[in-house]
Amino acid sequence: MEESSEQQLDAKSKVTSQLIDFEWKLGMAVSSDSCRSLKYPYVAVMLKVADHSGQVKNKSFEMTIPQFQNFYRQFKEIAAIIETV
Amino acid sequence: MLLDLSEEHKEHLAFLPKVDSAVVAEFGRIAVEFLRRGSNPKIYEGAARKLSVSSDTVQHGVEGLIYLLTESSKLMISELDFQDSVFILGFPEELNKLLLQLYLDNRKEIRTILSELAPDLPSYHSLEWRLDVQLASRSLRQQIKPSVTLKLHLNQNGDHNTQVLQTDPATLLHLVQQLEQALEEMKTNHCRRVVRNIK
Repeated sequence: MEESSEQQLDAKSKVTSQLIDFEWKLGMAVSSDSCRSLKYPYVAVMLKVADHSGQVKNKSFEMTIPQFQNFYRQFKEIAAIIETV
Repeated sequence: MLLDLSEEHKEHLAFLPKVDSAVVAEFGRIAVEFLRRGSNPKIYEGAARKLSVSSDTVQHGVEGLIYLLTESSKLMISELDFQDSVFILGFPEELNKLLLQLYLDNRKEIRTILSELAPDLPSYHSLEWRLDVQLASRSLRQQIKPSVTLKLHLNQNGDHNTQVLQTDPATLLHLVQQLEQALEEMKTNHCRRVVRNIK
């Protein structure tokens, strides 16, 4: 039983990357080169991911509030399903 | 400095005296157009039919002309050197004059086109910016922290690249001051002297 769960962990780390850190911030854009007066809130996320060789890469992206709400909904769904497993 | 034309090149150019000068002038126009926009093989076929020769012959003639013009322009050879280089080909005087005029008329533009070849490092294309206020982060709530997000568009060998950067206003000010200082250097006596001597 122990052996098989250890194998499962190994299989995941050899194939996929590992999420090391999830940083976020909430900001509001107030002005840009194309539009001087803005009131644009956004969520900026920076993921720290380590590939199977251990090399860490940063991936950052931004989401509008509606995009973030969709993002959040996905995780709520994942959490709900995990409860049933 | 005389041009060093290969035997193959001379053979290709040997087609030119066989047609009349209006045709050579047209070939010259095609040659420069091809330098501007790239070659179009269909043009060779049309011309070949009209002149009753193979399209290869036309192609070699035009390409020979292109190479003659680019090499002369690249090296910026003098009128006299151009005339002497072409003299070796044994063409009639009228054709030599035509070729010289073709060179002199187009030299500047060809040099501009040649200067655009082989850019090495990424170069500036455009800059987009956005002024943000950070309101909260995972580690700190209730903030009001201004920052500037920059999207730098770069060109390299025809490829387009973007780099997104973020900084605070104080660092941006410092960046602007550094760039202004770099431009100021151009006005110093030392730089002025060097540039004067190159010209």
